[in-house]
Amino acid sequence: MTSETGFDPKLYDRFPTSGARPRGELEELERIWCAPKGWQYLTVVNNNYVGIYYVGAAFLFFLLAGILALVMRVQLAAPLMGVLPQETYNQFFTMHGTVMMFLFAVPMVEALGIMLLPQMLSARDLPFPRLSAYAFWAYLVGGLAFFSSLFVGLAPNGGWFMYPPLTSTAYSPGINTDFWLLGIGFIEISAIAGAIEIVVGVLRTRAPGMTLDKMPIFAWAMLVFAIMIIIAFPAVILGTLLLEFERAFNWPFFDPTRGGDPLLWQHLFWFFGHPEVYIIFLPAAGLVSMMVAMVARTDLVGYRLVVLALLATGFISFGVWAHHMFTTGMPTLSVGFFSAASMAVSVPAGIQVFAWIATLAVGKVRYNTLALFIIGTLIIFTMGGLTGVMVALVPFDWQAHDSYFIVAHLHYVLIGGMVFPMFAAFYHWAPMVSRRALSERLGKWVFGLMFAGMHIAFLPMHLTGMMGMPRRVYTYLPDRGWDLPNLISTVGAFVLAAGIALFVIDLIRNVRLAPGGGNAGNIYGAGTLEWLPTELYSTRSIPVVKSRQPLWDDPDLSKDVEEGRYFLPGSVTGNRETIVTSPLMAEPQYLQIMPGPSVWPLLSAVFTAGFFLLLTVQAYGAGLVSGVLAILAVLRWMWETDRPVKQPFVDIGAGINVPTYVTGTSTHGWWAMVVLMIVIGMIFLMTVFSYLYLYGRSTRFWIDPPDAVSLALIVGGAALSALLAAGSRRALLKGDGRKRLAIWLLILASIVISAVTFIDYRSWLAAGLDPEASGQGAVIHAFIGLQACLSGIALLMAAFVAARGARNFIPVPRSNVIDLPAIFIIFTAALGAAGPGLVRLFPGTL
Amino acid sequence: MQPLIFTRFMTVEGLAGWPPPVFDPAGPFAGSITTLAWVLTGMAVAVLAIVLLAIWTALKGRPALRKRLGGERMIWIGGVAFPVVVLTLLLIWGLSLTSGISKPIAGTDMRIRVSGEMWWWRVSYLDGQGREILRDANEIHIPAGQTVALELTSADVIHSFWVPRLSGKLDMIPGRTNVMRIQADKPGVYGGQCAEYCGGPHALMGFVVVAHTPEDFGRWMASRQAPPPAPATNEARRGAALFASAGCAACHAVAGTSANGLAGPDLSYVGARRTLGAGILPNNRGAMIGWIGNSQAIKPANRMPAYTMLPAEDLKAIAVYLEGLK
Amino acid sequence: MRGKAVIEKAACAACHAIPGIKWPQGELGPSLDGFADQGMIAGRFSNRPDLLVRYIRNAPSMTPGTAMPAMPISEGEARDAAAYLYTLHDR
Repeated sequence: MTSETGFDPKLYDRFPTSGARPRGELEELERIWCAPKGWQYLTVVNNNYVGIYYVGAAFLFFLLAGILALVMRVQLAAPLMGVLPQETYNQFFTMHGTVMMFLFAVPMVEALGIMLLPQMLSARDLPFPRLSAYAFWAYLVGGLAFFSSLFVGLAPNGGWFMYPPLTSTAYSPGINTDFWLLGIGFIEISAIAGAIEIVVGVLRTRAPGMTLDKMPIFAWAMLVFAIMIIIAFPAVILGTLLLEFERAFNWPFFDPTRGGDPLLWQHLFWFFGHPEVYIIFLPAAGLVSMMVAMVARTDLVGYRLVVLALLATGFISFGVWAHHMFTTGMPTLSVGFFSAASMAVSVPAGIQVFAWIATLAVGKVRYNTLALFIIGTLIIFTMGGLTGVMVALVPFDWQAHDSYFIVAHLHYVLIGGMVFPMFAAFYHWAPMVSRRALSERLGKWVFGLMFAGMHIAFLPMHLTGMMGMPRRVYTYLPDRGWDLPNLISTVGAFVLAAGIALFVIDLIRNVRLAPGGGNAGNIYGAGTLEWLPTELYSTRSIPVVKSRQPLWDDPDLSKDVEEGRYFLPGSVTGNRETIVTSPLMAEPQYLQIMPGPSVWPLLSAVFTAGFFLLLTVQAYGAGLVSGVLAILAVLRWMWETDRPVKQPFVDIGAGINVPTYVTGTSTHGWWAMVVLMIVIGMIFLMTVFSYLYLYGRSTRFWIDPPDAVSLALIVGGAALSALLAAGSRRALLKGDGRKRLAIWLLILASIVISAVTFIDYRSWLAAGLDPEASGQGAVIHAFIGLQACLSGIALLMAAFVAARGARNFIPVPRSNVIDLPAIFIIFTAALGAAGPGLVRLFPGTL
Repeated sequence: MQPLIFTRFMTVEGLAGWPPPVFDPAGPFAGSITTLAWVLTGMAVAVLAIVLLAIWTALKGRPALRKRLGGERMIWIGGVAFPVVVLTLLLIWGLSLTSGISKPIAGTDMRIRVSGEMWWWRVSYLDGQGREILRDANEIHIPAGQTVALELTSADVIHSFWVPRLSGKLDMIPGRTNVMRIQADKPGVYGGQCAEYCGGPHALMGFVVVAHTPEDFGRWMASRQAPPPAPATNEARRGAALFASAGCAACHAVAGTSANGLAGPDLSYVGARRTLGAGILPNNRGAMIGWIGNSQAIKPANRMPAYTMLPAEDLKAIAVYLEGLK
Repeated sequence: MRGKAVIEKAACAACHAIPGIKWPQGELGPSLDGFADQGMIAGRFSNRPDLLVRYIRNAPSMTPGTAMPAMPISEGEARDAAAYLYTLHDR
């Protein structure tokens, strides 16, 4: 067996250890990870709590959006009903789609990840617990404020896809649209934060010995999910920013009369929007893969094929976005490509479906509620997939597009691909967080009602669509034959809702949350690590993983883990801590000291929400104050991090020593920074795409770029800034004496890169570029705005480093506090040279 | 061809009831899609049956069968080989169909420009050089048995042009012109509706395509070259005067009069239309009065203001005048 | 319920709010809510079925100057519509 990090795998044989554990060890662990009391419930960061909060909030939004759907179904039960006036209906369907997609589906799978992943990987917590807490609070506060806009009639009314020009100020002058952009802003923040958390968590905090090949499928799915978020969300982040810029500053990104193009929005939105469907589906599919094995009491057939399918889905899904645009009059060639890709993506789905069927065939199925939901998933998802293949064929899509056929299709895919797996997961994992399991007797009714209701509601819609009923209509005229299918759909919607209501009753009757110990435990006899006995600190000790179903393969594992016979049976530094392992083989690398509860993530989230909300209602002064407070709160939270402890090396069990403080490319912080830079890089690339796209549309209003002198200054300045930042790291290596120099170099680097941005801006100003006059002006100002934002962050980082330097909170000779800002500034400098270079050299008059 | 004075509430056969318009094509462009739709439906049902059978076998089948089903080989067959073959065949056929439908426009095709506007349709008939020879709204007249090229665009937000019995849909995007070809095999009335959400009363944005025999179409086109008849009765003349004085002409045009507003639908032959309010009301005098007097109560948020301040007899006079424009 | 169909297809509701007709609910003419209990048609004729049928088919012949036009429906259809209107009692 080869090793990835030089760690000797023979050391694993020392476990389980024998001999008595020291007295007080367990008590100290309990003290360090103690349960919150009173107000402390607001400041918790432990994933056991945040995960439950997150799941609860996402489920709340599911119910709220579902109620909106019911009211809409009443309005559509018969022609020309007057339950919902036109404007209210338009707000309802916009909110239903937006809330379901952005406030329910994505957060729900992310929440399940936060709740389950540390347990499945046997980590004490995710690597950035405070980031999870921040993401949760930003999402909750923002989501509730967003939803409340409905009660004052200010909810967005442009559809969840928000196509301009309908959503431009010319046709949507109210702040409704801004509320949408705001609500999405929050979910963008929390999704990116969650993705960083999950990528680093899955790759770096697995239990020792859990090689990639032994990871639970769900962890694989969440890894693909997080990577997809990182690549896809930047498109919608940029899209929402551009739309808000167009609305606020009149920059014509999407206005064809001034060199913009409404289709640019559609490209940006669907480059995110289609992967979004798989972002929702893959984690759910991962859960199904795990639960199928549990239901059939056997290993998943075709583990590697399923992993490949997950990866392939993620990959192909980025080539299908334009199938939402088949009716926009695209060239035949691109239509062919997207049509082929849309069909290809059904192959990995087929692999998973048949892997599940094969697993059921091999094993011996227990017919409990869980099994019913799994079978329901299989049927409903297959049906949605098949209609998906139908609409992937372009000519058919020309008829089906934007008709009720699509409504049927997408609900089959999403309910089969996400909602049913979610309910299955609720039944399966409830015993992990609750003292009592959910009721089997009620559960069968829940399933029956939901399954029947789902088909009664959505099956007729295929027909309604073929009968010519378009989507997003608040009413329809009689005599079109749409009355009966619509009435049936409405009945079905209520049957479905009855099933969900019954589930809620079951929740209230049976669920007694037990985030730490005392839960119902492994009643299904599952084999993965989340079913080890847990307390708030997760498992007493962190096992060595030798197979995919460790609990099945080692019957003593639970006992040994609970007796502390594996890694990290107590706290070695007196802090919250977990083991960071290598990405491929999961070999122990170092001990991560984790931050504990804090009020600052909560305050940061509240002020972030305040900032956006106040801007939306045009209270600019108060908004600015809130924004500054948000930044201060983030800095305050960061202040306590990255403090080395006294012991440089510690024994994490059986005499295996690892460092407690490391720097450089193997740290979790470095990994997170790299992920963040990929996100920013993707935003940059999407801006490049927008620039080239608008150039391709029309150059009627374009002007010549500034002269070569400005470009030389910019590239030179950026290079200087990068050199200064790199020099800062080097200076620190020379020891204590050069610490001040290192800090000064970093400050200088951030100032230089800010100056570069300013020079860029001035040179365009001198060239006569007007952001309101053309697509060119608008996009170049977007570039400059992005760069200004990055420069501002660089300045803040430098100021933060200086402040820590002054209080002597910078370890020498290597420090993450210097490292991470330095690579951020180098990255900023690279973009700062690339962007201005592109817009000057192409179309190329220089 | 005499337009009916009174229409059913919805004359729009193309959108009415059974059989579903997508499966009841009235021309070659919709026809080939219908064939595809049947094949795809058959494919979906067949594959679903296979999957259901596989699930049933996995759960209840004989052990020998289950054993065969429960291996990686089955995943390769069912999850990879089977879809690849089926999808490749479908794709090849679908793409050939696509290129067949979206062949470039022939120079001889009749050209009509349709612009989607919030929440109605501006229709311009073009000659071979692209000059406008006739203006109309919310109704598109075509000769049956001939291919007609529709140049689709938008004056404000994105709309989508959909007459399911004649063709699939194509978006109308500001700043672009998309070309769609339609053909109706037989004379008739085919309903259409906006299919891309365009805000406000998107649900109430319909239109009709009227196919005539080529001879009828020629007569119709010829008759439209002259201005509509002048008002014949006293009441109609009073209505015409009111039409001018009440500000109607600021938005509406009537050929041969000083009314030349362009913001709203052209009313030169409004009396001959089948529907009012963009495919939503029958065109009779009562509906016309109701529409003029308070269209906001009928189609909320549409761009025409309510004229509740006009006394009843004035509204009626205007309606009588408009009714005569045919 | 044939009367309701007649009312719908003739678009009476373009001007009158009529209970049972959800859309449109025109505001130009008087609401016909509680019509069955009204003493008069258009404030001039006693509310009798035969007069109502006549009025529906040709209001201007009975009250010159009314905004209500002659409706292009048959005698039978007008009777059906009248029958529907007589089901509208005060609530």
